[in-house]
Amino acid sequence: MIEYLLEPFSYDFMVKAIWACTLVGGLCAYLSCYLVLKGWSLIGDALAHAIVPGVALAYLLSLPYSIGSFFAGFLAVLSMTAIKIFTKLREDTVIGMIFTSFLALGLVIASFSPVSVNIEEIILGNILGISDYDILQVIIISIICFTAITLKWKDIFLVFFDESYAESIGINIIYIKILFFTLLTASIVAALQAVGASLVIALIITPGSTAYLLTDKFNKLIIISISIGTCTSWIGSYLSFFLDLNPSGLIVCLQSLIFFITFCFSPKYGQFTWFYKLNN
Amino acid sequence: MNNLIDFIYAPLAHDFMIRALLMSFVIAISCSIFSCFLVLKGWSLMGDAISHAVLPGLVLATLLGLPLIVGAFISGFSCAFLVGYVKNNCRLKEDTVMGIIFTFMFAVGLILLTKIETELHLMHVLFGNILGILEKDLMISTVIGSVCSFLLILKKKDFLLYCFDPVYTRSIGFPSKILHYALLILLSMSIVSSLKAVGIVLVLAMLITPGAIGYLICRTFNSMMIVAVGISVFSCLIGTILSFHFDLSTAPLIVLIQVGILLFSLPLRNLYVKFLCAQ
Repeated sequence: MIEYLLEPFSYDFMVKAIWACTLVGGLCAYLSCYLVLKGWSLIGDALAHAIVPGVALAYLLSLPYSIGSFFAGFLAVLSMTAIKIFTKLREDTVIGMIFTSFLALGLVIASFSPVSVNIEEIILGNILGISDYDILQVIIISIICFTAITLKWKDIFLVFFDESYAESIGINIIYIKILFFTLLTASIVAALQAVGASLVIALIITPGSTAYLLTDKFNKLIIISISIGTCTSWIGSYLSFFLDLNPSGLIVCLQSLIFFITFCFSPKYGQFTWFYKLNN
Repeated sequence: MNNLIDFIYAPLAHDFMIRALLMSFVIAISCSIFSCFLVLKGWSLMGDAISHAVLPGLVLATLLGLPLIVGAFISGFSCAFLVGYVKNNCRLKEDTVMGIIFTFMFAVGLILLTKIETELHLMHVLFGNILGILEKDLMISTVIGSVCSFLLILKKKDFLLYCFDPVYTRSIGFPSKILHYALLILLSMSIVSSLKAVGIVLVLAMLITPGAIGYLICRTFNSMMIVAVGISVFSCLIGTILSFHFDLSTAPLIVLIQVGILLFSLPLRNLYVKFLCAQ
């Protein structure tokens, strides 16, 4: 029995996948605490899709994928800001338009023959086939992001929670926002390997939202969110071995299930609080 | 001149190209009419959510032998409904709730797709397969698309009022709940009708960009609609022909051309405004 349970760990690729997923899941969950406060989910989704042409081009030119995708993400944010400034279009329209066009550009690049860009891999992730080189990039990005957020967590929190107060005590808002977007792009780039472009958004909003329904304190929010993120990613990728499933789908399903359970039975903000009253 | 005519006519020698072109026209018209409302209402993320949430419905429909359209419509609309329910009952923001629910449904769809043997091809579901359109698909899309467009144009004033000011709509006694759900149903229908051709991901572009161009150029809603439809059809024509000649994928190319037109129209509009001011 124990041998059966430990079987995934005897495969090198499974060990790598499980720990890479856990790392990325934790990092994204950390960021999700801030995104939930600010309501920037669409930006996360947009960045995840806008990265695709960067990855495709990086494959084409055989550069490290993280450089290409980081560049594309940066360009996307830049063009969104530019169009936002020059037109009177709504923000969500601009975001939706830019990210779909970036994605379309990625698809057109991928359809140049003869190139072996595997677009399915970019969209859905391929954690089980991740190369050592890619895993190294994921680890480096994650460590840098973790330290950067931990060092600046209070400033970011202040800026997101109350901009004018943050400004009044002398925090440089623009600098913090740029820092946060850079970290967000970097984490999405890391997560792209694990779950792919279309499901990254789940990792960067679901854990934080679940924690938000459970607690009112920000430090607790971070702790709960990170534990949900790491545990679900670990369990999801571990179980994917036995169920013969795509780890990314499983991780996201687990996170959403926890969210739905919290939504129903959270002690304070749940739907069925009568349940507790009945017992007391 | 002859070269140009050949350039345009060459793709039309193939049956599948004619079908692709007709299909893209149908989608262009129905999506661009809707996009005018969507841009005013600010529902881009809702379009994204519904289009992703369609996936489990597609897989289950093939499993149960139902028409794909029915499954897609049911799961897309139930996503919108679920988002509304969760949003009204907890303290999360609407866009966060949408993100959670549509990724959940998409993930379920992916799992089902890997577990169940179907003839659905994931890449076709995601990005469409406009060159492989059958006559049956063309018929279905035409029917759904024209019903949607007809309803939108028929009830244009009501929907427009709702998009601009929901509170005012309710206060003068219009059924704003019904308008809200009608708009959601029409959105799901337009998405479902264009799935086969442009896929889950790029539908959003067809549903935003034409409306955005119209919004930038025009002053009145009617002219906005006409410009949106015109530009959308034009870019479909150009995109399909270019993709044939240069061997690129069709739907992404159409999207890129639309955005190109938008970027091109910005400076032109500014010049025009300056010209008006100078007079």
